[in-house]
Amino acid sequence: MSHPKSDDSSVLLVHAYLDGELDPANALSVAQQMGQEPALAAEAERVKELQKLIHDRLPREPAPPGLRARIESSVGGAQRTKPSWRALAASVAVAAVVASGSTWLVVDSQQQPTQIAELLVADHIRGLMAPDPVDVVSSDRHTVKPWFNGRIPNSPRVVDLAKDDFPLIGGRVDVLGRTPVSTLVYRRAKHLISLTAVPADSAFGFNGGPRSINGYNVVRWTENGVSYWAVSDLEAKELETFAQLFRTSRNEL
Amino acid sequence: MSITPLRPRTGPNIPDGPAVRLVTPNVPDSAGVLDDNARFRDVVLPYIDDAYRLARWLTGNGTDAEDVVQDASLRAFRAIRDYAGGNPRAWLLSIVRNTAYSWLHKNRPATIVSVDDLEAVELAHVKPDERRDDTPEGSLIAKVDAEQLRAAIAKLPAPFRETLVLRDIEGLDYREIAETTEVPIGTVMSRLARARRRLLEMLRQDD
Repeated sequence: MSHPKSDDSSVLLVHAYLDGELDPANALSVAQQMGQEPALAAEAERVKELQKLIHDRLPREPAPPGLRARIESSVGGAQRTKPSWRALAASVAVAAVVASGSTWLVVDSQQQPTQIAELLVADHIRGLMAPDPVDVVSSDRHTVKPWFNGRIPNSPRVVDLAKDDFPLIGGRVDVLGRTPVSTLVYRRAKHLISLTAVPADSAFGFNGGPRSINGYNVVRWTENGVSYWAVSDLEAKELETFAQLFRTSRNEL
Repeated sequence: MSITPLRPRTGPNIPDGPAVRLVTPNVPDSAGVLDDNARFRDVVLPYIDDAYRLARWLTGNGTDAEDVVQDASLRAFRAIRDYAGGNPRAWLLSIVRNTAYSWLHKNRPATIVSVDDLEAVELAHVKPDERRDDTPEGSLIAKVDAEQLRAAIAKLPAPFRETLVLRDIEGLDYREIAETTEVPIGTVMSRLARARRRLLEMLRQDD
C-alpha cells in the first residue's frame, strides 16, 4: 500500500490508525496519506471528535449492586447436588453419627431448649447430607416467602443479605416435634446457615447466648414473638454477624 | 495489512434452545467442581460490569440486561470447561451477546435486523464524503448531551451498535471484537467505520 487512493480501504485504515491498530509502517503510511488528502484528515478529525464526545458523555457504569452476588448464588445453587456438595457433607457425617443418638427424639411440650438446639443442628446436618439442602431453591426472597404460604401457619420474615455476602439459597420446612417450622438457608463462602423461625409462645421459648453443639454453632434471638435459631459450622463470631445483619436489615418483602 | 472482502458471513448469531436457568451441570468428580468454581471466579466474575453494559446496549434497558447477564453467567459456568484459555473478556462477552440476541429473538423479534438488511448496509461503499467541506465538526456535535448520544447509539442497527459499543465505549481491540461478534476483522473494520458515520449523521441532524 505505497500509494493508496481515497477508496474504501483508506477510510478503514484511518479508523484503524486512530484506534491504534496499525503497525508502525502502516501507521506512517496512513499518516502521510492524511497529510496529502484533506478528506481523510477531515474523516480523522470527525472520528476523534466523536470518540471524545462518547468518552465525555458516557462514563462506563458498573453493574447494579447485587447482580454479582445473585450470579454467585445462582451458580452456587447450580452446584448444589454435585459431588463437591457431598464432599462437604461427608466432612460432617461423623458429627451427624455422634449427634444422632441424642437428637432423634420426639419433641414434646416439655422439650428443653438445649434439645431444640440439638434437633435444629440435626435438621441442619440432614439438610447438608440430603441431595438438596432446601425444598425451594431461590436467591430471590420474593419467591421464597410465598412458597411458605400454605405450608406453615405464618410465613417467615425473609431478608436479602446478598450485598453483605450472605446470599439466600432457599428454604425448607423442618418439623420440631409436631410443629412445622420454616427454615431459610443462607450461604457464606462454603458454609451454609440454617435459620429456623419458631413461634416464641410455643413450648420452645428460651433465651440464651451462643452455644456449640457437635461442632456446630447455634445463635438464637427473639423478635416480635418469634424466636430465630441460626445453625452453622461458620465461626461463632461470623454467625453472630449474620444474626445482627438479619435483625437490623430493612431489606425485606 | 490486508483487508478482507466486506461480505458479511452471518447476521446476529442466534442460538437455538430456551434460556437456561439453574441447570445442574453434569460433573464427574469433586476436584473438577472446585476447578470449575475457581475458573468461574477468574474468568467470569471480573467481567460482570462489562457484561452488564454490553447487555444493556443490546437489550436497551437495565432490567432485561440483568436477566441476560444472569442467564449468560450460568451458560458460562456450564461451558467453563470449554473455555480454552483465550481472552476471557471476549469469551464471556460473546456468550452475553448470544444470550442477548436469543432473548431478543424470543421477546422482541421485531428488533432483530434481518440478514438481507444487514447485507444491504454492509455492501454499501464507504468513501470519504466529498460533498461536505473538510472542516472538523467538533463545534457541531460538542453540544450533544448524554441523552441524545445514548438515543442515537440505540438507533444504530444491532451489528453496528455492538461494534461501536465494544470499541468506543468498552475499549476492546479489533481482534477481541472479531472474537466477540464472530466475524472477520475486515467486517469489524467496515462495521465500525459505518457505525461512526451513521452516528455522526444522526447527531448532526439532532442539532
